[in-house]
Amino acid sequence: MPATRRHISPHYQRYLNAKSTVFQGLCVVFAAIVLAVFAFVAFYLFSQGIHHIGLAFFTEMPIPPGMAGAPGGMANALLGTLILIALAGVVGIPLGMLAGIYLAEYSSNSWLGAPVRFISDVLAGVPSIVVGILGYELLVVPMGHYNGYAGAAALAFIMIPIVARTTEEMLRLVPHSYREASIALGASKTRTILKVVIPAATGSLVTGVMLAIARIAGETAPLLFTALGSRLLTLNPANPFPSLTVQVFNYATGPYKDEQDLAWAGMLILIAIVFVLNLTVRFTTSRMQRERRGRAR
Amino acid sequence: MSSESSQPISPEPNSPPSGEGIRRSLRTKRRFNVDAVLAGFTRLGALCIIGMLVALLAVLTIAAWPSITQYKARFLTSSQWRANSREVSVRDAAGHIVFDSDGEMTTKTVPPEFGAWPVIYGTTVSSILALLFAVPLSFGTALFLVRLCPRIIAGTVSFLIEFLAAIPSIAYGMWALFVLAPLLQHYVEPGLRHALSWMPWINRWLFVETQTVVGRTVSQEIPLTGNDMFCGGLVLAIMILPIITAISRDVLKGVPREQLEGTSALGATWWQSSREMLRYSRSGLFGAVMLGLARAAGETMAVTMVCGNNTQVRFSLFAPTQTMSSLLANEFAEANSDIHRAALAEVALILLVMSLLFNIIARWLVVDSSAHAAAH
Repeated sequence: MPATRRHISPHYQRYLNAKSTVFQGLCVVFAAIVLAVFAFVAFYLFSQGIHHIGLAFFTEMPIPPGMAGAPGGMANALLGTLILIALAGVVGIPLGMLAGIYLAEYSSNSWLGAPVRFISDVLAGVPSIVVGILGYELLVVPMGHYNGYAGAAALAFIMIPIVARTTEEMLRLVPHSYREASIALGASKTRTILKVVIPAATGSLVTGVMLAIARIAGETAPLLFTALGSRLLTLNPANPFPSLTVQVFNYATGPYKDEQDLAWAGMLILIAIVFVLNLTVRFTTSRMQRERRGRAR
Repeated sequence: MSSESSQPISPEPNSPPSGEGIRRSLRTKRRFNVDAVLAGFTRLGALCIIGMLVALLAVLTIAAWPSITQYKARFLTSSQWRANSREVSVRDAAGHIVFDSDGEMTTKTVPPEFGAWPVIYGTTVSSILALLFAVPLSFGTALFLVRLCPRIIAGTVSFLIEFLAAIPSIAYGMWALFVLAPLLQHYVEPGLRHALSWMPWINRWLFVETQTVVGRTVSQEIPLTGNDMFCGGLVLAIMILPIITAISRDVLKGVPREQLEGTSALGATWWQSSREMLRYSRSGLFGAVMLGLARAAGETMAVTMVCGNNTQVRFSLFAPTQTMSSLLANEFAEANSDIHRAALAEVALILLVMSLLFNIIARWLVVDSSAHAAAH
């Protein structure tokens, strides 16, 4: 505790005021630096991406450097990312939602609730490259070659804790009066959850899922040695599978200038996807909050 | 429920529903306990999460087992990371090379040696560097958002910062590779070297390396490539800024108004009451810093592109380095031998344990949602 004084001389007070103003200015400067850095980064990514994007990006396959039409486009990578997200979602969303429903509805009278909540928070912070190694050991080694299933599994591993926690939080926001009314009418707990609570929280649950999708759409490290990446268009996840993030990484760290230009365009698309998803989440959340406030009145 | 009769009566077709009739029809006969099905499925989901953590730890330990048993404690302290075997000439007691009867050098094969100390050092120093840059900026921004920012733009600024946390890390990596590293290489680092040149001991410390080779001490200027520990630390700082700012802002917002009003009543200046705010929420702020540290330690893609990828312990900040995650990203897909893969799995295990530790400490201190993204 700093020493307290009964009397502060005017000089000391002036010094304190000056110091306070200096620190106020410092906080403003720091915030300005942070925003300026991000503005610069965003502007640079945007301008480079816009400069090099074109219809060919979305429709053409990658062409090896030196051949006519090089570098082509990233159609296979875009499709690959969509398929990987879909596969990861097929596994990750149900499991995550079930865990979230457990945490929200069933965990109050069970010892399992607190550990699961804690572990899912901790799992959400695990470095994704470690998840990639897990996918490699569990799914690539037995199959004998890199495949898209391992990549999707690694993405699902990252997705499950996020979906579980957001589902739990959104279900907790549903007022208890809904549940009590349903049970008062004689419905079983299953029917209450499935027919009353979840439909009431559908919008929020969808936003939670969209947040998880935005997160895994940008993941590179877990795909590096599970799906490996490919320059071919392939729809079969049993092969090494292309994805936008790995393709961009390979192009960006490669030696060919026009492939690097294509990497900027891919980066822009990736950021656009993440931005749109986040904006939608933000928009629907604020609209639902307004509705909820309106309903309460 | 009702005690009149125990026989279920179906309501007559055209009669208005009576209270007793409704009660009867709602008491349906279930052949099995429906509730147990959903309860079972959800419990399966919950156990799945626990199983995921257990599987992560178990699979990595099993994969790393050959390396753990072979290198034991040496793995953490040895500075040699060499995946190939070397032919070294055999020297006798006096240090002269032994030649065989044909007049050729005799050589012995030195097996691969895996020591994780260089990458542990790289991760630690780059994370600390990132924290040094990011924590003051984040706390300043959080204070600005909570106490100084006009209400109109506070929401937009907060959204921007949270959106920036969601940008994939290869975006930052690419920007750093093509913009930040050349900037450091051509302007900042030579500028620093010039500016510090009037203090020769700092210059020697930061920019010059000495090596003792075969008894001779050689010192040389480190070539400044821009891909070094300094750049890696800067990129990591940019990546953890949004997380620390967002959590700090939430924590500072949770300081009760009475606290602030009390300090104002005692005649505190803006900075004095802000300092009291920071002191009040110091455990939450420490948790935010821990979360940032966890993210910095696990960050892969951005660091891999700019850290220089040199698996050696080098004192200078302006020498290329390697972190645990960049080592994995670079070498795992190309590891040929089983022992190499096992050593890499052991590095992954160390990284996982480190990250789990930071996350657990942070969660003890800050109770928050999973909205704040983690390292990728």
